[in-house]
Amino acid sequence: MSTDSGPEHAAPAAPGKGAPRLRLRPATTMHVRYRDDLRLFPNRLRRSALAALILIWAFIPVFWDVPPFTLLSGNGISLNTLAYAGVFSIAAIGLNLLTGYTGQVSLGHSVFLAVGAYSTAYAGSVWGWPMWLWIFFAPALGWLLGAAIGPFALRLRGNYLVIVTLGLVFIGEHIFRNWRSVTGGNAGTSAAGVELNLGFVDFENLSLFGKSFGKDESFFWLIWLLVAVVAWLTKNVVRTRPGRALQAVRDRDIAAEIIGIDVGIAGYKTQAFAWSAAIAALAGALYAPLQLFISPGDFTLLVSIQFIAMIILGGMGTIYGSIIGALVITALPRLIDGISADYGVPGVAAKSTDSGLVSVASLNVIIYGFLIALFLLVEHRGLAGIWVRIRNYFSTWPFSY
Amino acid sequence: MNEPLLLFDQVSLRFGGVVALNDVSFTVEPGELFAIIGPNGAGKTSIFNCLNGVYRPESGEINFCGRPLVGLKPTEIAGLGVARTFQNLGLFSNLNLVDNLMLGRHLLMKSGFVSGALWFGRARREEIEHRAGVEEIIDFLELQPYRRSPVGMLPYGIQKRIELGRALSMEPTLLLLDEPVAGMNLEETEDMARFIIEIRNDLHIAMILVEHDMHMVMDIADRVMALNFGQSLATGLPADIQSDPEVIAAYLGETA
Repeated sequence: MSTDSGPEHAAPAAPGKGAPRLRLRPATTMHVRYRDDLRLFPNRLRRSALAALILIWAFIPVFWDVPPFTLLSGNGISLNTLAYAGVFSIAAIGLNLLTGYTGQVSLGHSVFLAVGAYSTAYAGSVWGWPMWLWIFFAPALGWLLGAAIGPFALRLRGNYLVIVTLGLVFIGEHIFRNWRSVTGGNAGTSAAGVELNLGFVDFENLSLFGKSFGKDESFFWLIWLLVAVVAWLTKNVVRTRPGRALQAVRDRDIAAEIIGIDVGIAGYKTQAFAWSAAIAALAGALYAPLQLFISPGDFTLLVSIQFIAMIILGGMGTIYGSIIGALVITALPRLIDGISADYGVPGVAAKSTDSGLVSVASLNVIIYGFLIALFLLVEHRGLAGIWVRIRNYFSTWPFSY
Repeated sequence: MNEPLLLFDQVSLRFGGVVALNDVSFTVEPGELFAIIGPNGAGKTSIFNCLNGVYRPESGEINFCGRPLVGLKPTEIAGLGVARTFQNLGLFSNLNLVDNLMLGRHLLMKSGFVSGALWFGRARREEIEHRAGVEEIIDFLELQPYRRSPVGMLPYGIQKRIELGRALSMEPTLLLLDEPVAGMNLEETEDMARFIIEIRNDLHIAMILVEHDMHMVMDIADRVMALNFGQSLATGLPADIQSDPEVIAAYLGETA
């Protein structure tokens, strides 16, 4: 082989064709202006990922019966399930504001969901209020109730607060069962008469681009639009002055007071309680017309515990964690139902007439409890924590240490 | 003669039978670095807690800029310009450095839940404006590498410095430093002493320093008060305090 090399061979270290080339890419985005540093989605990758997610989510009602969505829709998860998950996402965001960000555990969240649901059913069907009015009425009522109850409950901390809010659930249930003229008592009340249109947008018979959509589809859009709005508003609260104050109260309340954060009667704990109640009531306002019929059995202690499970599983102190948690906790039981009914899981009885080691209902409870225990033990930051780890791994790849 | 910045006049504080402070009096002049020394349990931190409004003294008066402090709530006293660091760290450990310092500016900012939620407008303007103020303090205390780390995960010496930063971001007129170099090695102590001197010389903020490190106190303080069992033993220049027989007795025991 000739060793006589021309000028094109003068740099023997230069990589040949197809050889791997090292590409330098900054691990994080460097911002030189505060307003860029304060953006929620700081770089182009995250912004495009968000846009893609929103786009896919918006088209779910149209393509729900088309693969690959049939993997979910064919196994028990209907659009209706996702609408419920949206309602619970809103409520879970509210609870996360109080529990995850302010550190005050409340078992009373289902009461405020109920307040929103009953007031919407009543204002919508008995008073005949239009949608734009009842959709603001429920959170306003929830806020007032939260602001009234908060100062009393929040005099206590930790376990004692949990017990007081537990009392709230029982008082609430008593009122819902006995204030028959409004709540319909044990039998419940119908929300079928609630008006569901905003001007020309009719959420029971929506026409878009020449196609007509029913309540399932349009409610999916309505609810998830509100999830996005509530998530954005709450995220803004927690990243600005009021939200930082809440987290300061959570981390060290005496130091918070000494730097000037009010934790007294009208202080940040109470305000967090009130806003959390308002958000839960908004969720309730959507719950009533979604379910069409509400009764005290829909707002028991178990529902409150489910909200706590959602934020533990999703991630305490994160907004998107609340949504992920609500999706998983709402969809998982339906998925288990669907899979065991369609394919038959050994040892699981899909119907009450089948024989098996456990029924589907018990299996649900077992998995549910197992997941909560697992997350508390292994990843107390929830699914959001796992996501952060994955993201950090790839954003610093290949030097992830 | 001018009014002192702080007048602490014959203050007494008891917990049951324990006398934490007994007729303690002192003054702090504007821009002065006033140190309080004394053995454990002498009542040094109790003075801070009275100043902050955490404790309410039984008798005596506390005047700050001519306004009485006794009976005010901690938040109100913070609003008058009294900032404090804690002996055992009072940081918000899950929040990052920027958020901790922004919290120091809580009273200088205004946005509430509604304007915060809407983001565009006042909240965003305030975030940008006060972030600039926070960055000045980050530069001043040389904390640049730690902006985004949750402060609970940072080394102890850095956490102490962040706490000083949080107090500074309140833009106080009186800064209470409760053992700022406790548990620090020599290098960290020297850094902290340098920052304290810079605060006095460049920012002209009056400080009350409670500290066990005698070398540092005697080197940097303008005046010193020695305290023992809630009693003020002597107040004066560092050199005078060092040679005061009562102070020596309190620290080393009676001479035979």
